[in-house]
Amino acid sequence: MYLLEHDAKELLAAHGIPLPLGVLTDNTGALASLPPGPWVVKAQLAAGGRGKAGGIRKTATPDETRAAVADILRTRIRGLPVRSCRIEQQVNAAAEAYLSLMIDATRAGVRVLIAPRGGMEIEAMATGCGLLRSAVCDPDAPAVAACTRELCADLVPPLRTALAAAGASLAQPFFDYECTLLEINPLFVRPDGSWVAGDAKMITDDNALARQGALSQLLQQRADTYPEVALKRCYGCDYVVVDPDGEIGLLTTGAGLSMMLIDELRQSGLRPYNFLDVRTGGLRGDPARLVHVLNWIARGPRIRVILVNVFAGITDLGEFARLLLAALEQAPRLRAPVVARLAGNGVETARSVLEAAGIAVVTELGAAVARVRAHLGAANAA
Amino acid sequence: MMMPRVDRNTPVLVQGITGRAGRRHSRLMRRYGTRIVGGVSPNAAVGDIDGVPVFAGCREAVAATGATASVLLVGPMHLLGAIRDAVEAGIGLVVTPTEGMPVHDALKALRLVRAAGATWIGASTPGMAVPGEGKLGFLPDSALLPGPLGIASKSGTLSYEAGYRLVQRGIGQSVWVGVGGDPVKGTCFADLVPFYASDPATGAVLVIGEIGGRDEEELAEALIAHRFAKPVFALIAGRGSPEGVTMGHAGALVHGAYGSFAAKQAALERAGVRVFATLDEMVDGVTKWHSRA
Repeated sequence: MYLLEHDAKELLAAHGIPLPLGVLTDNTGALASLPPGPWVVKAQLAAGGRGKAGGIRKTATPDETRAAVADILRTRIRGLPVRSCRIEQQVNAAAEAYLSLMIDATRAGVRVLIAPRGGMEIEAMATGCGLLRSAVCDPDAPAVAACTRELCADLVPPLRTALAAAGASLAQPFFDYECTLLEINPLFVRPDGSWVAGDAKMITDDNALARQGALSQLLQQRADTYPEVALKRCYGCDYVVVDPDGEIGLLTTGAGLSMMLIDELRQSGLRPYNFLDVRTGGLRGDPARLVHVLNWIARGPRIRVILVNVFAGITDLGEFARLLLAALEQAPRLRAPVVARLAGNGVETARSVLEAAGIAVVTELGAAVARVRAHLGAANAA
Repeated sequence: MMMPRVDRNTPVLVQGITGRAGRRHSRLMRRYGTRIVGGVSPNAAVGDIDGVPVFAGCREAVAATGATASVLLVGPMHLLGAIRDAVEAGIGLVVTPTEGMPVHDALKALRLVRAAGATWIGASTPGMAVPGEGKLGFLPDSALLPGPLGIASKSGTLSYEAGYRLVQRGIGQSVWVGVGGDPVKGTCFADLVPFYASDPATGAVLVIGEIGGRDEEELAEALIAHRFAKPVFALIAGRGSPEGVTMGHAGALVHGAYGSFAAKQAALERAGVRVFATLDEMVDGVTKWHSRA
């Protein structure tokens, strides 16, 4: 879960991380609760490059602030609409540095990255100037603190003191919230060696949500801010509308095969509506998840046909076929014809169950796509 | 990492054998020929499942059966403990199909598996198979056939489809390893390079990758470093996926310069891998190699 900066900062504040005071707003109305200015207005969205895209503006008066909020809420950054802004106090008379902690999959540890300069050009610095330093350490807080200390040992005192302290302080929330990435850029460093987290990019592990109280709570309160994570948490599947005008609703399992199917349908000129990894292996005898999915697909205004594609490994297809029939009955809004391609464990039972209900089952994906095409041709002709 | 040899005589445990998946897939694995010698479950009091003795822990199970490999069909929050139980009992090959293992747990598991000198395949994987000998996990029988192709795959379902279509062309597999789609995993593509290089049954390797992570890029580096001489084919899913949208696996989240389809294709092609964009093209390419070989 890629947290909005504001949410990340609230979570970090609970761990005593030094932060500029700030508030979240989704409109330009009353800004009564503002901390003392001057301010910086920052677009809140889960994507990098906000500064370069005009999503960060410094303001000196409440009127300027209101205008900046209005401007930013009208923009799209990396194609995403901006739904809220964080308004926070500017940090002045401080140098900018960089610190991040991330899971290093290859080395089975935590990678600590620091740079004596921070800001928007950090990526160029990483490849060009050689200012970025990094090392991998054991995945525990004392190791991260020690690793950061070593990385900044030869820096000048205010930077050295601040970065070492930041590494030690940030390690705790990194492990407590089970982050995969925690990046502070810029990390403001004052001449006395104290520091403030100017920005916070925090990505947490969705797999750990069930045991992460604060994150679960956040997700519950703000499901509309994190729709895909909320969906997965509630329904146990991954669903993304890939083409709002798509004509083919996909009821598919397995991320890899589902992605490949979308690519191949598009290449042959067809328009799939959604990506879905329904995880048939996790249905546990209950059609509820399939009903939800069918109702979501029914929202597609141009849906003409449903393509079911399940190559069963862990799934028993006989059981899946019965659940699919039950789900179709409970999702009457979906009137499009169903093409079912099933292969793997239990396909014989599945075939007799579905064919008794008038749904033909094919075993080859190519044949299924041909049937989909036939349905679309008939629908377009009509 | 040493990939232990698996055949019909390999004695295998199933941890979580009394659960829904454990019971069903123990039956299916045995039907395929896997020698399952015992199960492990907190409900050891059941005595046996379909005649397979059930133990309370791996230590007792290994002592009684001599098992050297284990398939873990337990929930994601229990995986770390179950992996620890297995490697502490001296199990050399641990296969964990379970989806949804927390990544911080996976880090700890990887460290303890490496310290024990064991091999871990998973998590989020259908497992592995040596067709005609046995399977550890639930790769579908209809996609398995003894043959010369080594398969290594991140995605379960896409590999089923690929394996199945190749089987229809009469091309089977030597050793099929589902490495799984998690970012931190027991075995990654690059780890398998020395194994496939030295395995006499493997004539070529098919890699089924996915956008996100660095596994394909690291594979390319390993192929070059080992001067891997056998043909390598790759099919990469997710070419049309938008950046930053997770399409299921935690690993399929594209950040920055690496991880994209183009980056993987370029890295693999530099290492001499033939990269295909569609299943049909991949099947044609592998079939051409097979008919010449």
